[in-house]
Amino acid sequence: MKARVNVVLGFVGSTLDQGRGAARWERWRPTIGLCQQEDLVVHRLELFYQRPADTLTKSVIADIATISPETEVRRHLIDFRDPWDFEEVWNGLYEYARAYPFDTDREDYFIHLTTGTHVAQICMFLLAESRHIPARLIQTSPGSAPQVSPGSYQIVDLDLSRYDRIASRFSQEQKDALSFLKSGIETRSASFNRLIERIEQVAVRSREPFLLMGPTGAGKSWLAKRIFELKKARHQVDGAFVDVNCATLRGDGAMSALFGHVKGAFTGAQSDRGGLLRAADGGVLFLDEIGELGADEQAMLLRAIEEKVFFPLGSDRAVKSDFALIAGTNRDLGAAVREGRFRDDLLARINLWTFRLPSLRERSEDIEPNLQFELEQYSRRHEKVAFNKEARTRFLDFAISPAAAWSGNFRDLNGAVVRMATLARGGRITVDLVEEEIERLRTLWSSLRGDPGGSVLRAILSETEIEELDLFEQVQLALVIDVCRRSRSLSEAGRTLFAASRRERTSVNDADRLKKYLTRFGLDWDRVRAPQRS
Amino acid sequence: MIRIDGSAGEGGGQILRTSLALSLLTGRPFRIEKIRAGRKKPGLLRQHLTAVDAAMRVGGGTLEGAEAGSTELAFTPGTLRAGEYELAVGTAGSTMLVLQTILVPLLFAKGKSVVRLEGGTHNPAAPPFDFIEKTFLPLLGRMGARVSARLERAGFYPAGGGAATFEIDGGIELAPLDLTVRGSVRSSRARAVVSNLPFAIAEREIQLIRKRTSWSDDALEAHTVPSAGPGNVVMVEIASENVTELFTAFGERGVSAEAVATHTIAEAERYLASGAAAGVHLTDQLLLPLAAGAGGRFTASGISSHTRTNAAVIETFTGAPIQFHAAGDHVEVEAVAPRYALRES
Repeated sequence: MKARVNVVLGFVGSTLDQGRGAARWERWRPTIGLCQQEDLVVHRLELFYQRPADTLTKSVIADIATISPETEVRRHLIDFRDPWDFEEVWNGLYEYARAYPFDTDREDYFIHLTTGTHVAQICMFLLAESRHIPARLIQTSPGSAPQVSPGSYQIVDLDLSRYDRIASRFSQEQKDALSFLKSGIETRSASFNRLIERIEQVAVRSREPFLLMGPTGAGKSWLAKRIFELKKARHQVDGAFVDVNCATLRGDGAMSALFGHVKGAFTGAQSDRGGLLRAADGGVLFLDEIGELGADEQAMLLRAIEEKVFFPLGSDRAVKSDFALIAGTNRDLGAAVREGRFRDDLLARINLWTFRLPSLRERSEDIEPNLQFELEQYSRRHEKVAFNKEARTRFLDFAISPAAAWSGNFRDLNGAVVRMATLARGGRITVDLVEEEIERLRTLWSSLRGDPGGSVLRAILSETEIEELDLFEQVQLALVIDVCRRSRSLSEAGRTLFAASRRERTSVNDADRLKKYLTRFGLDWDRVRAPQRS
Repeated sequence: MIRIDGSAGEGGGQILRTSLALSLLTGRPFRIEKIRAGRKKPGLLRQHLTAVDAAMRVGGGTLEGAEAGSTELAFTPGTLRAGEYELAVGTAGSTMLVLQTILVPLLFAKGKSVVRLEGGTHNPAAPPFDFIEKTFLPLLGRMGARVSARLERAGFYPAGGGAATFEIDGGIELAPLDLTVRGSVRSSRARAVVSNLPFAIAEREIQLIRKRTSWSDDALEAHTVPSAGPGNVVMVEIASENVTELFTAFGERGVSAEAVATHTIAEAERYLASGAAAGVHLTDQLLLPLAAGAGGRFTASGISSHTRTNAAVIETFTGAPIQFHAAGDHVEVEAVAPRYALRES
């Protein structure tokens, strides 16, 4: 195995590396001292110098040759017009770094930070930190008097994960942030947890817009607020959180509400109005239901995001506002673009970071921790409420069953808990209360779904019987029952139901076929025709 | 594969150098572990790497772990090769310690070798060139070796830049050494040397020795030598009938010239009082050629723990014991010739 090669990049210290006569060996000279370390072999030194330090550089190289025969020194003339000019120095070093044939498989790189102007040191640091130069930092320091030379050295690795104590602090900080984004709820859904991890990473590192997609009640607005609070805790934003539902900004007032207006901009504009974008300056603007924005508002918003300026209504003076945008939508914005209802350039601008929040049904394993959370929230605001053991089991069984649509997602769960908790006597939620709530939720969801037969079935079958059926069968059976109830005889109902087959002459006895179908569900003509469930 | 504990006793560097020399001499590979364990800077230092490099060039086969900071090294010898070697030691490290690694092996290599070394020639905690020239090589000569030494330029820590050349006739057979009797003192001399430092330092050192001894002015000398950097060394030479011993101390920042001179002369006085032929440092140096050759015996003014460690390493390789017998003010050292022949080159 070939030993690795140590390569140091550093500047000649126009003052520190100076020294005349034999006495120079008693001075601490950082560049030479670096090559005098007993336990560090500098195999190659890439030595930068400015033209005025030409003579000094030659003598430094000669001294290194004496003291460190193992070291090959390559000198590089870098002529900065102004070595204190950040941009010039950065560019010069950046170009050097880009052209350098770094070979990290065989060589270890170090940047000697003790010499060079502060600007050069800062630039070198930044190049190392950004990994343009894959190096660790090395600093040298004088020994204690009287033996100041050759001094000692320290290696600083900017990969903070290499430092156990720093790393554990980081991971704790990240854990705290994740828990914060989840409101402390111990969510179990692996995909949701991954999503939150990503959001945390992006939230603390980026100021670019976020797009939160997901069905209504999935927690977009709640998450936006949490992201804002996390950014605020990390000193990324110092302004306010402005939460707007674009669906409420319809019509003439929309422009004015968002971008403000000046006095007299329109009839009724009796004074200046700052507008919501202005209010979000330095903070976070959450535009929920962004797909509902009108065309004019979309155009103005795009400019406000890109240039951080916009014009209030009736004003020819641009107003500045620097906000981080979080957009929310439950619609397919891509489809909206295709239909011409949403600007494609605005969509392109806001969907750099797109996160789709899953519905509650997609996270059924999270229902239990969220149920607990909702109960605690209620108990904190009102009185302490808890489930009976059985009641809790009954509710959870229902909650994760296919029968539970959770079409309003967390809003529904929250509503259910609030209703049960309010009706609970002595702070106990009983099985009866749970059954009652389940009934309410079913009604709510079936009415939302346009009732594909739920009420028809419930008139004839018990809840348990219905639960045993696939939704597929429920819908079909409900329609069959509905037809039967509107028909005068089994035969008439059969003719209606199998009309297509009749035309093809493939069915000879419709009534018999219908009768057999009903028997499968334990039903007959009389029971189907009965006015009420018996 | 011989296993050596690099943390045993004192002198991790010495253990390594002795192991390298004996491995070259016996043809036995070794692995040294825990090199300089527990030190502030554990593992191999650059000066050790130069010794490893020297051994590799003179007669190495394969090598593992030769990196600064490495705490483990495995060395398998190849064929000993006489020849011309240029070796440069970084950090102004001692060239004499590098020489120590390869000198005795090259005595056994057929043909003449020329070894030119660059770096420190006068280093603290190492034999200075003058010791090698005046004390060590004459004793090797008595055992049958022909080695000449020439100092081109002195090199002091921290600037280094010194150079010395040694011409070694190889392929000889060493005779046993008997140095039990020192014999009467024929001359005593002191030299104070400065380089790139005020001459007054050397004068003050000589002044102190003059006061402390009754030596004549002819025997006292202060002078300057050219060198890359600053340096100061005081050397006291005691030439007796059967051996010339040399004691040294180095000037350093924060230590007075008088203290340096006192240190040197006091060591010489202890040696004289012991009645032994070899001082502590010579004792250390003699073990290897005795063990590699036909053995021998000598009287020593004392045995350092350094020497005991060294003896233990030698025994590990040769299987031949080195014995220390207390004898009044001094110690008798006896090295038995190795039971088997050293390898032919």
